[in-house]
Amino acid sequence: MPELHPRTRKLTIIAQDPSVKAPVERKETEENAQNAPKAKAEQKERILTTQLEIPAEDLMPGPRGYRVIVIDYDTSTGTLYMPIEYRGLDDEGQYEDPFLERLQEEDGDKILLDDPSFHCQNVYAIVMKTLARFEFALGRRVGWGFEGHQIHIAPHAFADANAFYSENDRALCFGYFPSNEKALKGETIFTCLSHDVVAHETTHALLDGLRQRFTDPSSPDQAGFHEGFADVVALLSIFSLKDVMEALLPLVERVADERSRAKLLKTGEVKEVAGKAEGKKEETQKIREFVHAEVKAKKEKKIWITKKSLTSENLRASILFGMAEQMGEGLSGKRGSALRRSVDLMEREDRRNLYEKDPEFQEPHRRGELIVAAIMNSFLEVWEKRLAPYLEDRDENANIDVNLIIDEGASAAEHLLTMVIRALDFTPPTDLSFGDFLSALLTADSVVVPDDSKYGYRKILLNNFKELGIKPSSNPKTTGTWEMVDKEVCYDRTHFESLLHDSNEVFRFIWDNRKALEIDEDAYTEVQSLRPSMRIAPDGFVLRETIAVYVQMITLRAIEVENMNIAVPSSMPDDQEVTLFGGGTLIFDEYGRLKYHIRNKLYNEKQSKRLKYLWIMGYIGNQAYRENVFARMHLQKTLGVPARREEQF
Amino acid sequence: MADKPIKVILRTYEVGFGDCFLLTFKYAVGEKHILIDFGSTGLPEGTPKDQMQRVAKDIALRSKNQLDIVVASHRHKDHISGFATDNAPKTKGKGKAAIVESSTGDIIGSCNPKIIIQPWTEDPDLAPDAKSAPLPASAGAAGAGEGKALSAVNLSFTQSLRNMNMVSEAIGKEVSHLADPGRFHKTLDSKTVSRLDFLADNNGVKNPSAVENLNHKMSGKRLYVNYGYPLDPDLGEILPGVKVRVLGPPNVDQYSDIEKERSSDREEFWMLYAATAEMRKELLDSTIGKDKKKEDDLLFPGANEYQRTMPDHSRWFVRRLRNMRADQLFQIVRILDDAMNNTSVILMFEVGKQKLLFPGDAQIENWEYALKVAPDCQDNINLLKDTTLYKVGHHGSRNATPKKLWNTFDKATEDKSADRLRTVVSTMAGKHGSPDRQTEVPRQTLVDALTSSSDYYSTQDLEEKRGLYHDIEIDL
Repeated sequence: MPELHPRTRKLTIIAQDPSVKAPVERKETEENAQNAPKAKAEQKERILTTQLEIPAEDLMPGPRGYRVIVIDYDTSTGTLYMPIEYRGLDDEGQYEDPFLERLQEEDGDKILLDDPSFHCQNVYAIVMKTLARFEFALGRRVGWGFEGHQIHIAPHAFADANAFYSENDRALCFGYFPSNEKALKGETIFTCLSHDVVAHETTHALLDGLRQRFTDPSSPDQAGFHEGFADVVALLSIFSLKDVMEALLPLVERVADERSRAKLLKTGEVKEVAGKAEGKKEETQKIREFVHAEVKAKKEKKIWITKKSLTSENLRASILFGMAEQMGEGLSGKRGSALRRSVDLMEREDRRNLYEKDPEFQEPHRRGELIVAAIMNSFLEVWEKRLAPYLEDRDENANIDVNLIIDEGASAAEHLLTMVIRALDFTPPTDLSFGDFLSALLTADSVVVPDDSKYGYRKILLNNFKELGIKPSSNPKTTGTWEMVDKEVCYDRTHFESLLHDSNEVFRFIWDNRKALEIDEDAYTEVQSLRPSMRIAPDGFVLRETIAVYVQMITLRAIEVENMNIAVPSSMPDDQEVTLFGGGTLIFDEYGRLKYHIRNKLYNEKQSKRLKYLWIMGYIGNQAYRENVFARMHLQKTLGVPARREEQF
Repeated sequence: MADKPIKVILRTYEVGFGDCFLLTFKYAVGEKHILIDFGSTGLPEGTPKDQMQRVAKDIALRSKNQLDIVVASHRHKDHISGFATDNAPKTKGKGKAAIVESSTGDIIGSCNPKIIIQPWTEDPDLAPDAKSAPLPASAGAAGAGEGKALSAVNLSFTQSLRNMNMVSEAIGKEVSHLADPGRFHKTLDSKTVSRLDFLADNNGVKNPSAVENLNHKMSGKRLYVNYGYPLDPDLGEILPGVKVRVLGPPNVDQYSDIEKERSSDREEFWMLYAATAEMRKELLDSTIGKDKKKEDDLLFPGANEYQRTMPDHSRWFVRRLRNMRADQLFQIVRILDDAMNNTSVILMFEVGKQKLLFPGDAQIENWEYALKVAPDCQDNINLLKDTTLYKVGHHGSRNATPKKLWNTFDKATEDKSADRLRTVVSTMAGKHGSPDRQTEVPRQTLVDALTSSSDYYSTQDLEEKRGLYHDIEIDL
């Protein structure tokens, strides 16, 4: 009798990066909790690892699989490392996790750092997991942002503090570099061992596959979105790992203790004279210093946390800042400070003005932090809300099981992650604004879960975005969701079955309905993609939708653009050729009826701003900017190379 | 000697891709000579091999072995290679008939310059090791002017520049490794290699001999200047009737706090980058270089690697990776190039109604201080309006004549009036950048603007005529 092949396998990875360590003794019993001081003294720390569950397959050496090919070539030394073999199914019908046992050895950490084939496995597993998360959320196979099915990964591509997605090379490239930190002097930092870096770069490649035109220069929003979104996916991926949560959670109680201790000393401690705001700032600063010291100090395990400690304020201070502190060494230091900055945004008094008015937040990376802040704060609020039922009718000092808190936190992260990925299907294909993304996020969720009352995800998200001055593009005063199509469209000359599979049929639908859909008839129009989307609704039934994306483009002279009521920069010559892009996402419901038409018209009000931006940045008539978009952006992030194109000849 | 010049003569030498100008002020009795830069990174085909020697000898002849001022605008090879003293031609003949020739740097040195002007970043007192230690108030006075001590931020900045030099050198090494067929016979195309080599060479080589000559060997008083440095006390007697102003580069102290903060981020970046570059050099040495098989220094000692052939499935990607790496190095080296260009000394010579502007290779980041940030920026703009002669920045690249500057020149007009702006560029086409990326040097759109709105002179004319120099004479 043939047996079923396993659908998934587990592979060991480094949970966040090698600087995040945890005591060797994993599971704490009540008995040794009592002997805590003694046990603590004997505890040894190891790099925190975890097993990721990813789609199973018969892997070739590399690992080389159906979507990911790892080729360990180092350009800086001209070395091609030999990969290890991955065995087929064992006697029990399972795939092995080749490093699992070796990690138990005395020099387990050394193996993680010194064996390049572990690095290959680490990066392979995280990329596959990120891909699987996208496929789960969207209910279909998801392609990369280039022709072909397999992405190449170079885990040690070069000796440089950089990592990026390169569309032209169909690749994710990860660098390595010597540590500058005193604590790690002489050690090499490998970007391929940073979970969030790998997930971040993979997200760029997947987002590029779903929305090719999001890498076009268009506006600060679109430039910032790729970065912000990749950070959100990376962070939520890490917070959905229970091992990471387990390592961070003991901080919650200690932060809470510190707060209450401070409150007891209230009289002299936070000066009310200076005004409330300053008092709050001072308090935050104190807590932060405390978290910093705690992270540096030895960690301990906990099995209970008291009810009174579980506020979103304490979770923020311990989980988010704790994570940022954990990332405080090596490459992650930069990423940690980005997380810290994002979380800080919510505490700024001028937070509602940053998006619209602050010039600093026009820069893509800072702008992207606004999205990170809104979503990470929503994550904490949802988490707190998910815990509420367990806390009801319990005494303030009641002990709450850590596993429960972890489960709810990881579920909140996982759910939000699914929501933000699903939102992509509901975005327009060109010139994305943050408001568009917010409307997409709210709409995508409302389609699957019409009733938001249980945890209030949508309400929480909407509030957090609004707190940062970002309003949804549609229905800003109510639900923030996209409007449904209410125009008469003609289905008579197209066929339902064909509409689900054939882009020519979709094009015919668009062409037949060009008046109703208000599509420009003179522009070049192309159906860019046609994809099914299946989700399980809360009632247990499959919700099937079909998502078609079309793009329109037209090249005109500046003077002609002006005639279309689009403002053209005054220094642009009349005969300068410019290409305008527009397009829409058509969402058909399970009956093949058009439910949503989410789009940017070719001649819309955003074009004036876009042209000004492109002209100032020197993007018009220059193809060079298309090369290595992400490599360049990452470099500019560090160096802050100012855009001075307007000064150039 | 009368106290006002009656004529000014600008001699522009043919040094290919480089700069070399001899500015002469003629008085009723006698002349004063200022050599502004002397360097080259490539000569046009057919130029005599000893062109730099011929230029040096002409400078000595023209100045009658007496240079009053030498200006080395910034450290790039194409501006200072001629000051090197290690390039003497081989002795021809033997015994008494032997012809011993001097190096170009020694020929210039023999002209005994009285004053040598360089940017503040070149001050040898800003030694690399002094990096993090704040300088005592008494030290480093020459660099900051007016007896002001150089602060730690300035020291850090110069350290970043030195780190950048190191990075460039390492890049040079990595490029030759990428261009080497190596173990897997996948090389870069020659065009990419030469583009990279050119930039890495111009930035990386520290020009030790030229730097030594400029900083120590040659006679003369050294001035390391920044924006607003008062030159009058030193130049007043040497150049009567001529006012010389320093419009750049600003030092870090002159910038706002925000800029200082950014500067410290950048410093951190270059420190890390230099450390990484050093790591690359060591790894290269232990992997394929002279210390081959120094197992412990490898990235992964004991790891298995392919030796001569690679698996079929990896070939396409390895080739892509090597090209991608070359592009990446190119990006870095261009940033280095810009940063070094922005240390250029910007000098304005005012004599009578003439205002002669020599900005080295300064780009907008350097100009911005004089044009926008400095407390007296409006005075600068008023001064620049009347510019009568402009040495085109950076061989006519698109970055070094910022539009904000160009639009300031009132005398840049399409009417061919008598006092129309004169522009001079020392350049060579096909050496730097490419038209499809809009980075060619000289940049065609700039040349078009210069040709239509000024009396434009380019050393490309000398290239055609095989001439050694071109003189522009202006009666005062």
